Amino acid sequence: MNDASQLSLTQSYGPIFMIVAFSLFIAVTMFTLASLLGPKNPTPEKAIPYECGSESTGAAHVKQSVKFYLTAILFVVFDIEAIFLYPWAVLFQRLGVTGLVEMLVFLTVLTAALVYCWKKGALEWQT
Amino acid sequence: MTLAGCLTLAAALFSLGVYGLLTRRQAVAVLVSVELMANAANLCFVAFSRFRGDVTGQALAVFALALTVAEVAVGLALVILLYRAHGDTRVDLASEMKQ
Amino acid sequence: MNLVLLLSPILIPTVGALVLMMLDAFQKEDGGLAMPTALLHFTAAAMALALWQRGVPSDTSALHGFLAIDKTSLFLDATIALGGGIASLLAGGYLAEHKLDRGEYYPLIAFSTAGAMLLVSASDMLMLFLGLETMSLGVYAMTGFRRGSPRSAEASLKYFLLGSFAAALMLFGSALLYAVTGHTDYAGIAEVLHAAPANAAADAAAAIQVVTRSRISILAMLLIVIAMAFKVGAVPFHMWTPDAYEGAPTSTMAYMSSVVKAAAFGAFARVMLAVYGDAASAGSAAGWPAMLAWVAVATMTVGNLVALTQTSVKRMLAYSSIAHAGYVLLGVIAAPREGTGTTAYASVLFYLLAYTVSNMGAVGALILAGRRGAESVSYDDLAGYARRHPAAGFAMTLFLLSLTGVPPTVGFFAKFYVIRATLDAGYTALALIAVVNSAVSAYYYLGVLVKMYMRDPAPGAALASPMRSGYVTVAILTAAVFVVWMGVMPERWLDLAREAVGAATAAAPSAATAGGNAAP
Repeated sequence: MNDASQLSLTQSYGPIFMIVAFSLFIAVTMFTLASLLGPKNPTPEKAIPYECGSESTGAAHVKQSVKFYLTAILFVVFDIEAIFLYPWAVLFQRLGVTGLVEMLVFLTVLTAALVYCWKKGALEWQT
Repeated sequence: MTLAGCLTLAAALFSLGVYGLLTRRQAVAVLVSVELMANAANLCFVAFSRFRGDVTGQALAVFALALTVAEVAVGLALVILLYRAHGDTRVDLASEMKQ
Repeated sequence: MNLVLLLSPILIPTVGALVLMMLDAFQKEDGGLAMPTALLHFTAAAMALALWQRGVPSDTSALHGFLAIDKTSLFLDATIALGGGIASLLAGGYLAEHKLDRGEYYPLIAFSTAGAMLLVSASDMLMLFLGLETMSLGVYAMTGFRRGSPRSAEASLKYFLLGSFAAALMLFGSALLYAVTGHTDYAGIAEVLHAAPANAAADAAAAIQVVTRSRISILAMLLIVIAMAFKVGAVPFHMWTPDAYEGAPTSTMAYMSSVVKAAAFGAFARVMLAVYGDAASAGSAAGWPAMLAWVAVATMTVGNLVALTQTSVKRMLAYSSIAHAGYVLLGVIAAPREGTGTTAYASVLFYLLAYTVSNMGAVGALILAGRRGAESVSYDDLAGYARRHPAAGFAMTLFLLSLTGVPPTVGFFAKFYVIRATLDAGYTALALIAVVNSAVSAYYYLGVLVKMYMRDPAPGAALASPMRSGYVTVAILTAAVFVVWMGVMPERWLDLAREAVGAATAAAPSAATAGGNAAP
């Protein structure tokens, strides 16, 4: 790897590092100040795990309904197809009409898949 | 990131995948191992693509990603199928002769 | 337009599968898609033949080197489409009989066929992977189609895990090839691998580079061979085969054991010949035929010996399909040989077509013998079957004789050509082992015939009787026509296979570039 690309690496990631450092600083400062300045009088009531004001029940590991998996699978499949859209979008001008038509064909196929899922009831939550 | 670094990482991922495939019994864990292997290959493609300044490898990696995801979707569906039929998701890849 | 025409054998099942998907989604009740699916496949086969007749256009630059549409791939396309068509018909009968007739089976089969065609036409690692996955994903789902059956679910998951393992190996192999050559198309890879010795003498650094390149290309070759061995079910990567075949619905088994195998072998032969075919320049990686010879011996022997011990006909056919993979490997091994290689390659194509129709027929006859709730799967179930039902028994007999390799069925000539090619290439021991294996295999195939014709069913046992299904009957008749036709005029069909590979191997290695499809 040459110097030019090293330079561009720091250049492009520099702002991100600054944001990360800044947010870390804010978070650490706030927690430190809160624990230093805030009054402390713990009671057993206050020490139990907080769950939206209601008392926590059951084990922490709950079995998820199998329906979530189906939805998750469908989400992942349709989501990943977006990776073909990005390169196309970047090169949209150069690909021109051919690219547009090809992408439309691709999207039509995707839509067909979506329609199929819909008609087959894969998107129904209640079965 | 040097080329050697990328390749070491890819080789490590690939080996981990093979190890997991051979030792794990849970279907999902085996699936994850296989995906590790596939992604090791993708990493190789991308690393060499950048190293050579040639985009073919990246294009292939994008396609491979999409295909692997489709594969995972089918795999997870089959795991659910097994769970519904069996009540268990263990799979013994070595068992053969059950007459 | 040129592009659409060139790709039409692949596009027909692809577009057809989408249409079938929509039909399935919008139709009120399941069933009735078998005939459209079969017609779709036969249309694709006809289109491949039409392209063959018309002559492949010489200008295939529209494909950008991704696909090689030549006579080899058209021959295999036609084989795949024929097998897929017969399998859809079998599915129409089988699924309805066993209350599995849900519409999604048919788009799956059509997508798999499209993937199989991509696979055999691939001339780029990307397309190879794409075709492999497209074909396999459909078949995984079809394997697990008996919902609620733990057997079927386990079979499909096992098949899936080992199949995707193979795909990952293949992907890593291509990544390594890309690493050393900077190309993903077969022609480009071969070119760089071939160019290696030329600049080796120049200086020490280049020499080291050449050594590294050769070592990595050997590793890549190994990974690709293992991946393909998984797909074709060659020993020692066969362990998924019997379980997957047995757990799968029988119509899926027909598809897996014929079409998937034909496609995987077609792609295997093409990638090996195109990338590693030239012995002089591929360096140590050119030793693959010698390595595959051991694989072939193990595959034939293990397949046949274990098949001997089976009591289930379905499982016996699974092991027999392993053994047949061993015979096909013989042809692949002989294919890179200078001079006689073309005929060997042709014998592989001939064998794939012959095995597809014979095996489809045998599985079809097995499907025919299984009524709802009483799938005939064991030898004992078939006792006296042929005496009670002569026509159905005769169909089974014909296909089993073809699988055994008894003349005048096509199976005999398929084995004959492959073994002759092995002898021509100088692998005498290998040919001998194949002949012995073939003799051993007669025992278990003929065992079924003995049961069917000469044994009485055990008292009180359920009597197998053929189901009534127009679909299955048509499928069996189609397969039977090919088994007899190819058996009666084998030379004519071998010539076709020769013509199919003529362009692909005659001018190697330069034919490896641009897919080697000089228009006739």
